[in-house]
Amino acid sequence: MASSIFYLACVLGIATAALYLLVRPGARALKLGATVVGLGALGWLVQQFVGMLGGDDPSDRPGVIFFIFSLIAVASAVRMITHSRPIYSALYFVMVVLSSAGLFLLLEAEFMAFALIIVYAGAILITYLFVLMLAQQAPGEDGTVQSPEYDRIPREPAAGVAVGFVMLALLSEMIFSGVSTELTEPPVAAAEVAAWRELEQMPGQLRRELIRVDPDLEESFPADQTPAKFSRIDEQGGIFTVGPLGSSGQTYEVSLPHSAMPQNIQRVGWALVHQYPASLELAGVILLMAMFGAVVLAQRQIELSDDEKLEAARAHQSARDAANGGDA
Amino acid sequence: MLGSFAATILPIVVSSESAVVDVPVAQATDAFGWAALILWLPALSTVLCGLCAVMKVKSKLPGWITVGLLGTSFLLTLALFFSYEYENPVIIHALQWLNISWNGEGETVQFIANFALYVDSLTLLWMLFVTGLGTLIALYATEYMEVDVGKGYTRFFAGISVFLFAMSALVLGDNLVMLYLGWEGVGFASYWLIGYYYKKPSAVAAAKKAFIVNRIGDFGLALGIYFIWHNFGTVEYRVLFEALNAGGYSTETAGWSVRAIPYLLMLGAFGKSAQLPLYVWLPDAMEGPTPVSALIHAATMVTAGVYLIARMYPVMLLDEYALPIVAWIGGLTALLAATIGMAQYDIKRIFAYSTISQLGYMFLGLGVLTSFGAAYHVFTHAFFKAVLFLTAGAVMHGFAGQLDLRKVSGLRHMPGWRIVSWTMFYGCLCLAGFPLITNGFYSKDEIIAQAFITPGFGFVALGVIGLITALFTAYYAFRVWFRVCAGPVHFEPGDDHHNGEHGGGEFHPHAPRLVINLVLVVITIGAIASIFLGDWVLRGVGDSTAVYPSPHAEGDGFWANPHRWMPWVASAAGIGGILLAWYFHLANRSAAERMKNALLANGLTRWLPTAMENKWYVDELYHATVRAPLWILGHFLNLFDRYVVDMFLVDGIAKLPRALARTFQPLQNGILQSYAVSMAGGLALVAVLVVLMPQFVEWVRSVMGGAG
Amino acid sequence: MMLAAIENLGSITLSHYIFTSALLFVIGLIGFVTRRNMIVMFLCTELMFQGAAIAMIAFGRFHLNASGQVFVIFILTVAAAEAALALALVVLLYRRRETLSAEVWSELKE
Repeated sequence: MASSIFYLACVLGIATAALYLLVRPGARALKLGATVVGLGALGWLVQQFVGMLGGDDPSDRPGVIFFIFSLIAVASAVRMITHSRPIYSALYFVMVVLSSAGLFLLLEAEFMAFALIIVYAGAILITYLFVLMLAQQAPGEDGTVQSPEYDRIPREPAAGVAVGFVMLALLSEMIFSGVSTELTEPPVAAAEVAAWRELEQMPGQLRRELIRVDPDLEESFPADQTPAKFSRIDEQGGIFTVGPLGSSGQTYEVSLPHSAMPQNIQRVGWALVHQYPASLELAGVILLMAMFGAVVLAQRQIELSDDEKLEAARAHQSARDAANGGDA
Repeated sequence: MLGSFAATILPIVVSSESAVVDVPVAQATDAFGWAALILWLPALSTVLCGLCAVMKVKSKLPGWITVGLLGTSFLLTLALFFSYEYENPVIIHALQWLNISWNGEGETVQFIANFALYVDSLTLLWMLFVTGLGTLIALYATEYMEVDVGKGYTRFFAGISVFLFAMSALVLGDNLVMLYLGWEGVGFASYWLIGYYYKKPSAVAAAKKAFIVNRIGDFGLALGIYFIWHNFGTVEYRVLFEALNAGGYSTETAGWSVRAIPYLLMLGAFGKSAQLPLYVWLPDAMEGPTPVSALIHAATMVTAGVYLIARMYPVMLLDEYALPIVAWIGGLTALLAATIGMAQYDIKRIFAYSTISQLGYMFLGLGVLTSFGAAYHVFTHAFFKAVLFLTAGAVMHGFAGQLDLRKVSGLRHMPGWRIVSWTMFYGCLCLAGFPLITNGFYSKDEIIAQAFITPGFGFVALGVIGLITALFTAYYAFRVWFRVCAGPVHFEPGDDHHNGEHGGGEFHPHAPRLVINLVLVVITIGAIASIFLGDWVLRGVGDSTAVYPSPHAEGDGFWANPHRWMPWVASAAGIGGILLAWYFHLANRSAAERMKNALLANGLTRWLPTAMENKWYVDELYHATVRAPLWILGHFLNLFDRYVVDMFLVDGIAKLPRALARTFQPLQNGILQSYAVSMAGGLALVAVLVVLMPQFVEWVRSVMGGAG
Repeated sequence: MMLAAIENLGSITLSHYIFTSALLFVIGLIGFVTRRNMIVMFLCTELMFQGAAIAMIAFGRFHLNASGQVFVIFILTVAAAEAALALALVVLLYRRRETLSAEVWSELKE
């Protein structure tokens, strides 16, 4: 345990030092070196994980896809916060979003993966880009866009990186000191039970699945009739009794296949409206209010007083001076 | 012949030598319920005076209310006196006051102190002159205080009423808690009235001095009461004296907390009655209005100490050295105060020192086992000292505050001053102990003679001191009279005289009017009457808790029995003093100055007049030994407070956040990122603590365990 | 499902995902602290949201229920609302001072 902390601390220290060099303004060569060192540290980290978790059996080695996605995500994130031009930062963020959508897919959250891409990369990030364009500096006389001083010089690089290092060390300590965190592979018993239970709570879906298995049921099991009674008779599997139905009072016993289990998107939708209806409403209200707020804020005309104009001009001038000074 | 006369009028108590005397103990009765009014009427008077103050009465109404109610109180006392049967003391229950019980160690402890009156002859003796003189002096004050009619007048009479209430509670109370209530009450009233002229710094200082010096004594009394309760389980006289009668306490077997009681009570008595070493407040108390001096600081309040010792006489016998110490303190105080009084020029101060001196006689009497002599002297002294003070007050009143005996002369030749002069003359005679026709002669002789009779502890020396003091007393008493009342007519107005007030800048003394003269005459008649009350006092004391058999003189010859030769010797001392005073202060006034100058010229004797005039430097001694260290301590504490508490603790703690703020002020730079990094850093710090603390604790424990 | 089938899930533990999410979160934090452009700072908060979202999904998968995904929906909601409001504010601020630097807005320190 202590040794793992030690290793982690060393590697993370190297990584953060590299990050510091990246964040800090400096020569290109230095940044390149920092990138190499940081990648090396990350690679070593990966190798450590492989060695620590995988064991000797190659079939037990963790899948490469996870590592690809996470490396892309982390590297893009680093680049995002180190790039001096906000447009590029935003685009790198799109990379982060895409790779995390890939991770979502790995976690069998297909709906969320695509929702993320659509909402984040498609909507939010576009908004950002619009605003960035709105607030863009005019190009200089020579046609090149000079990044303003505040985009090139970081504010508190040392303190920020140190705090980040401490937080990450703590998070890692907690992550790797927990109980067994192995992700169970579906379908396993528990997952199946949960899935069947959820299916039980969705009468329409269940009816459809039952009819698909046994088309005869459609007649004796009309959709508009009084709710049919069905009950699961086994704890594990998908064997249901249906009935008594109609005038015959007959009961049926139907065994549903695994494909009848609710899909991920069904489960998310069910959880959303069944478990968190109030939160759903609140989310709607928040979005509505945000829309109102954005409209009200954006349409306001700014009446600048003379003092404020002077102030703005001065700030502008000082920024420009600093930028020129930074070049010289 | 003179001796036999004294012997017939003052029969000596003859009794066995047994040290244990059955003290007459009062029994509860329902009969005299109205007697509680003696206590309540002054209280009512206080309330009415308060009402007058609220309603801003601008007349003499408060004075007449006070006189009326106090007079009624006196009449009730008289009625009680006449309906009271000797040898049958009673307790009159007024109202239930304190009745507390709690679970002590295995038994229920009870603390009872009711508002009840303990009436025996000692109580009645005291109450008669307290209420009687109180009424008369209040009457006198209605005229004396007339320049202050309005707020001050009301305040004055409210104070007098409070005093009378407290004094009645002190004397009448059937338990020590009530006595203590009265004790503190009279102390408070005394403070109130000494500080009457509160715009005068010296009056304020005197009031504070009286209060603070009394506090030392009160501490002793409070502790004494506690020890009595601790050892006897009661503060009620009845139960206490029954317990003492039952025996079981002797000077051999008593524990220290029992033996300490007499000394603690003594401390209280010495404070209130202005004895060594706590007498210094009384001369300064003369800053109050003269009726106050007469009533509180001469006739009544200062005798509270004597009353306490007399009432607690059986308790005083719990330690065999207690009463001799009382005697010696009394004798020395008498002598010291008399020598100081001889060299003073302020009439009231002379009388104040004479009061201290006479109180010394009373304690001497108590100490040499003649409680009768002491009580009788209290009684006679109350009258003649009241007369003296009231005449001094009349002089002060008439001469715009003039009290220097060198600046007023020939009073008896002035129109309208005759009654003042001659009542003062009779008062001085009483103080000097002029034979046969004065009450002071009999009471003082009784005490001095008993000092020669009672064996042990140098009482004979005390008798000699008493005789010398008698000579001095006669000298300084008549020094005043010959200076002020006799001789050529001459006067200078005092400080209170302002040009224009009396018309045209020319000062005319205004002679006392009817009320003052009436009061003087009545009290003088009372003084004369008290000559014949010796028998009554003797019987009264014999029936009270102060009873104790005075040792009887052995032998039968003239010189063998001090009661036979004492009248002659004491008369000689008194008359000798008067003649001395006559020579130096009437016949040949310059002789006194010459003698003083001669003494001052001689280096060997210079100290004597200087020291006497400066009151033997006792105030200065106290200043150096008590006040100065306290002053230094006070200043040290002041500096401590200012620099350590205020500067270091208070301001320092206040500066700490400021310094902290200064340190962290740069963080407050208005830049968003700085705040963000501070927040994240704080979060990280807390997380470090939470995560690593258990491991750290474990590590420390293992290290400690390894070390242990 | 398809990707998950390719991937050998048995050896990738929850810790891997949480670690990734922690990395993203901390990088976002560092970015927030160090960058001075207001828009980039908001982008960094979005990055932190992203880290949180990965952790949510991973936990949801670990516990085999859909709550994690539901929470990510809410995160998306809040992020969208925040983006709308914050960007509107940024536009306002930019109009006042003609700069995106966060440091010109420090009057409240007094």
